[in-house]
Amino acid sequence: MANSHRAQVGHSDVRELRGPLLVLGDTEGVGWDEFATVDVEGGPQRHGLVLEVDGDETTLQVLEGTEGMALGGVEVRFQGRPLAVPVGPGWLGRVCNGRGEPLDGGPPVTAEDTSPVGGWPLNPVYREPPQDPVITGVSVVDALTTLVRGQKLPIFSIPGLPHLTLATQIAAQATASSGRAFRVVFAAMGMTHADIAYIRDRLEERSAAGELVLLLNAADDPVIERILTPRIALTIAESLAYDYGSDVLVVMSDMTSYAEAVREVSAARREIPARRGYPGYLYSDLAELYERCGRVRGREGSVTVVPVLTMPAGDITHPVPDLTGYITEGQVVLDGDIDARGIYPPVDVLSSLSRLMRSGAGRGRTREDHLDVAAQILSAMARARSAAELAELVGAAALSETDKAYIEFRTVVEKELLNQGRDELRTLEQTLDLAWQALSLLPRRELTMLSAEFLDRYLP
Amino acid sequence: MTRLPQGAEAALDPVRQALRRDAETAAARSEADARQQAADLLGRAQAEADDIHRTAQREGAEAARADAAASSARARRQARRTVLAEQEHLRSLLAAQVQEQVREVRRDPRYPQILRRLTAEADRILGPMASVTESHKGGVTGTAGSRRLDLSLPTLADQALEDHSGEVRRLWHDG
Repeated sequence: MANSHRAQVGHSDVRELRGPLLVLGDTEGVGWDEFATVDVEGGPQRHGLVLEVDGDETTLQVLEGTEGMALGGVEVRFQGRPLAVPVGPGWLGRVCNGRGEPLDGGPPVTAEDTSPVGGWPLNPVYREPPQDPVITGVSVVDALTTLVRGQKLPIFSIPGLPHLTLATQIAAQATASSGRAFRVVFAAMGMTHADIAYIRDRLEERSAAGELVLLLNAADDPVIERILTPRIALTIAESLAYDYGSDVLVVMSDMTSYAEAVREVSAARREIPARRGYPGYLYSDLAELYERCGRVRGREGSVTVVPVLTMPAGDITHPVPDLTGYITEGQVVLDGDIDARGIYPPVDVLSSLSRLMRSGAGRGRTREDHLDVAAQILSAMARARSAAELAELVGAAALSETDKAYIEFRTVVEKELLNQGRDELRTLEQTLDLAWQALSLLPRRELTMLSAEFLDRYLP
Repeated sequence: MTRLPQGAEAALDPVRQALRRDAETAAARSEADARQQAADLLGRAQAEADDIHRTAQREGAEAARADAAASSARARRQARRTVLAEQEHLRSLLAAQVQEQVREVRRDPRYPQILRRLTAEADRILGPMASVTESHKGGVTGTAGSRRLDLSLPTLADQALEDHSGEVRRLWHDG
């Protein structure tokens, strides 16, 4: 009751407006990270988060920005608690903006329970290691960088490559073999309206089936709102996973846009910038998000995270992919040259890796030969690359028959196994059969990573 | 015009016949070639036509499938939109009814007592220096320096609706 009355006290002593920040005087008892509503005379209501409290002065970041606000005519009401969102299956099938407000013409999402969007820190000993695969229906991911329930596996891309198409395809097709309900939360940040239309169309079926939550922050939506979007997505996912026992996949695209929002707030707070102007705490900020995936002891479900990040100018040392790489368990790297050869998805398999693949693939999980086939293909692709480099030096005619076979193998792997339709769903069996067909191009003596038993059973 | 000597006609007969035979053979060959070419051409044309036909059939079927998928997606989306719009309509109807009921509170015999309690609450929250006045919408509003407290009836009703928003779903969901 005290809280709800606190919420009705309006504070109007605005002392400063600076970028997305609003400094308010004559406040007391305000807590760090508290959520607030900001009434602006003659405009729609805005929302804010407390960043700093100093004496009777409180600094808020206004999610919608402070454009058009004046020192007078603003009234701020503190909610007496951090931002919380309703949680539960009420979100399924809904399309909302980056703050969780409906865009689909429906009523606001409500539920009996709410959870703070910052999440609860999880006792590390309650964590269960990720296990069992999430089958995406995309051959290159399933065969070579298998996604595991509870894993965080980012897609590293370059602006202009079809990372959004791939992320959307994974969101549309992914399932787990556990028999539990599979749910997807898609958080889009900084998307163009064309991209948003594409995502909505592509995920329509899953949305209509009540298996999908869509949070859409458009490129022209307030930048600061993007700070909340992945947090709301993860809060919804945690509830669906741990309270309702579903396997949940959270796709977050594009995390570079998110990091830019973090940088904007940091710059407005006049913090000392670290690499490329991003704040020094970008690592812990990203970890705070990525580490919310996983499995919890004694609970059924799981949260698997696939963040998408674009590397400006393809620079893998850029702070966002660099820091992400420290936290996540592998990466799927998209490559411009492969894209130029017309291969979709243009995954550079030799730079991509799923560190937890052993927990998700193989006997009893996918198929007995899966791990060996993946190892053999990667090894052969590496040998094919050396052979191709050699061919550039001495000419293809001078290559040995074996090297020629490797080059032919690589062409077939790219054209048949990796290349796939943008809405083509391949079963794991189909994927592994294609892999074996490609391997059959190599002399049998070269297939040293596969046991004679597997060769006899599967080699066409 | 010179005439052939007598007997030459008969002597030339074998030559004529040979020439004629050759011509006939050449003609027959040409005809056979022409027929063959025509048959090849027809065969190729037929194969091409079959190919075009098959491609058109496949593309037509794909286009039809895509069209059907798109139109069923449209229909599903429209249906979903209708359901959601109806839910939103119910919710706003409830909000309007609550606001209407709240206006009636001012005619309730217990209203002066409510006012006294709200004034005491405003004094407690804003402190002794606050000035608290009755709102024209019912309830009270108070100010103390730059702080303003809105305990008017419509605001309280909005607040109550928000606090119980989880229950509003029961309008369209069982349980």
